[in-house]
Amino acid sequence: MTREQTRKIENYIALSLSGLAALAGLFWLVFILGDVLVHGLGALTPDLFLKDAVPAGMTGGGLRHAFVGQLLVTLAATLIGVPLGVLGGTFLAEYARGTHFARVISILADIMVSVPSIVIGAFAYAILVRPLHHFSGWAGAVALAIIMIPVVLRTTEDMLTLVPWTIREAAFALGAPYYKVIIQVVYRGAATGILTGVILSIARVAGETAPLLFTSFNNAFFSTDMNGPLASLTVSIFQYAMGPYDDWHRQAWAASFVITLFILGLTIAGRALLKWRYKK
Amino acid sequence: MTQEIDLEVKGLQFYYNGDNHALRDITLPIYKNRVTALIGPSGCGKTTLLRCFNRMHDLYPRHRYEGSISFEGRNILSDKEDLIRLRSRIGMVFQKPTPFPMSIAENIAYGLRLKGIRNRTELAGRIEQALKHAALWNEVRDKLNNSAYDLSGGQQQRLVIARALAVEPEVLLFDEPTSALDPISTGKIEELVSVLKQDVTIIIVTHNMQQAARVSDMTGFMYLGELVEFGTTEKIFTAPDKKQTDDYITGRFG
Amino acid sequence: MTTEAKKRNIPDLLFSLLTGLASFTIILLILGILATLLTESWPAIRKFGFFRFLFTVEWNPVKEVFGAASTVYGTLLTTFFALLFAIPTAIGIAIFVTEIAPNFLKGPIGAAIELLAAIPSIIYGMWGLFTLAPIMSKYIEPALQKWFGSLPVLGMLFRGTPLGIDLLTASVILAIMIIPFTASISRDSFNLTPSVVKESAYAMGATQWEVVKDVVLPYSKLGVFGGAVLSLGRALGETMAVAFVLGNNHRIATSLFDAASTITVTLANEFAEADSDLYLSSLYYLALVLFGLSFLALATAKLFLLRAEKKYSR
Repeated sequence: MTREQTRKIENYIALSLSGLAALAGLFWLVFILGDVLVHGLGALTPDLFLKDAVPAGMTGGGLRHAFVGQLLVTLAATLIGVPLGVLGGTFLAEYARGTHFARVISILADIMVSVPSIVIGAFAYAILVRPLHHFSGWAGAVALAIIMIPVVLRTTEDMLTLVPWTIREAAFALGAPYYKVIIQVVYRGAATGILTGVILSIARVAGETAPLLFTSFNNAFFSTDMNGPLASLTVSIFQYAMGPYDDWHRQAWAASFVITLFILGLTIAGRALLKWRYKK
Repeated sequence: MTQEIDLEVKGLQFYYNGDNHALRDITLPIYKNRVTALIGPSGCGKTTLLRCFNRMHDLYPRHRYEGSISFEGRNILSDKEDLIRLRSRIGMVFQKPTPFPMSIAENIAYGLRLKGIRNRTELAGRIEQALKHAALWNEVRDKLNNSAYDLSGGQQQRLVIARALAVEPEVLLFDEPTSALDPISTGKIEELVSVLKQDVTIIIVTHNMQQAARVSDMTGFMYLGELVEFGTTEKIFTAPDKKQTDDYITGRFG
Repeated sequence: MTTEAKKRNIPDLLFSLLTGLASFTIILLILGILATLLTESWPAIRKFGFFRFLFTVEWNPVKEVFGAASTVYGTLLTTFFALLFAIPTAIGIAIFVTEIAPNFLKGPIGAAIELLAAIPSIIYGMWGLFTLAPIMSKYIEPALQKWFGSLPVLGMLFRGTPLGIDLLTASVILAIMIIPFTASISRDSFNLTPSVVKESAYAMGATQWEVVKDVVLPYSKLGVFGGAVLSLGRALGETMAVAFVLGNNHRIATSLFDAASTITVTLANEFAEADSDLYLSSLYYLALVLFGLSFLALATAKLFLLRAEKKYSR
């Protein structure tokens, strides 16, 4: 065999292996999504959305209480996390642009994005659950907000940085103070990008389970009281899947299907928005 | 003058992205051991033509060649052409220096290793020979194991030329090799090109007309994807046949 | 900043103060988490000793003796095996997406990989419990046992009854989960290789694989390494993907078919049930260890990624 033939064979082997790796990656995606789809669709009933849980072991009932609880906690987290994230990102991209402070915060935020979410749950437990002696929706919301802040902050910073400096100068030239320039001109230029960041951060926390386990905890009954324990879809999935009843398993699959659909939908929407806005 | 033809381009058409007709009916001979310069305003297709000789366009999708380029009696534009072998015979030097992320010696040895040369003494000999050939040996002989990125831009470009020379190609393609360099480095590269033609056939793309006049034997002037005029450098720069060529040479456009 | 921007009036000062405080929450949160974890774990640190806790195997809520050795060991082991499966696959995917796939496939495959990253970990966990674990216990683990079980030394890893609720299944799920991260960071690093350098390797007659191996990989090694360490950080802290299939067993596992526990799984299962202060404090100590480990990994990753960025922006 000539040297060239050996090289070509080596090439084919290496390329096939990497093709196989890509195939393997796609295989898991199809497998997992397909499984959730098949089991989830089969278990999807109107009752899931309209009824609350029935006592353990009995068949029937639904997860209305968990949907509502999840919605409340996520909404509250968004209300806390998004303003802090957007404002913080604004400071880094505008007032502190190019400073060491901005750089350090930026790096720390990047690290915060990946800090184990269960640690954040433990933190929220220590500051909001233990002192008050009860689990609460607010504690869950704060835990999720802590996860959202760095995500929103970093996207805001990046999106504001993308707005050309000359646009600000044009506004300064009209005599506007900096805060007005930011609010009226820069935010408008970066609105789509910031919105994408917010959407992706909601997608990120909507599937979080670990930080809710000992903050909003769980509740077998319908509740809208943010000061008490609240059910959530994700914690319900954990409880139901680990439980012994077939009916629980079915509902866990159905809930998984809904939540996966929701998150993938948000993620795709966010990416599409970004692509549409920043296409060259 | 009678000369041996190394590469012969006949009726070459080239299309980008399916329908973007970038080269129109190009026909020209490339003479052995001569320097052929391709000049013309940017966007005229000179680099596109250069990249046909080693089929670089094949790295990207949706391109199409028509016509032929014959090299050693076969059409290198044919689908059956072995690109790996072709490219090891027709070397290329780019606008910006492109050292690989390895040591100076490893950069030179790279092409040799691809050819299967493993013997350490032979490699060392060939490295020294190539570096001398590219007039770089005296500057780097003591730091062969340093990263190639430690060299200056001009030195990097000569390293890249040495790397291309090491595999003893028949043809070397230069794509504006001095456009990123200072005047002194440019002078060294031009000198090198003039010396190298004893061993290899050279095609050089440049938008610097003085450079074409200084280094080349033959010159082709291209405009809007067509080869407007081809002839000896002397004739093109002193008594071109076409008015367009004359206008370009005298700086009236482009 | 232009002087114009520095010209301040009162509302502007207030706005800058407001945004400044908001950005300061990041520092506040990190310090707050660190301080809280330290305070809460202080009783356990005092009782069991800072280092002795880490090397004590026993975890016994009844006798109130707590040690982190088994959970730290489980955390490191699942992470190690997960990276072992994930990194080669992820790099393969990145090579395929950047260098080999025809253009019309690059976008869709890249998008699919990113979608895989968006699926919440609880879905992976549940899928692992209901779908993967039975497959592992019925087909894959018995086969592994048959092939490798009789080998000396290596055979030890495949002893025991293959139940599917074990280290191997957990590592596989964890691997599937971190593949998308690693792949997408590797892809981004590969894309930083200047195309003219790649072209010039092709121009020497290199094959695609030779270009990847000799130019792209050396060029992007900092970024790829950073991506791998980032995945390590993620894997260390992942809870729900492993909580379903690891069994929460506080023993030092010697076989891949043993149930085990990680810091995250222990916290998820025992936190809300901890009925004594010392128990809770020990759990906080575990959380502190996890926070320290993952922060270290993430900071290292960030450092490498920043250096990679700097190198390419020259």
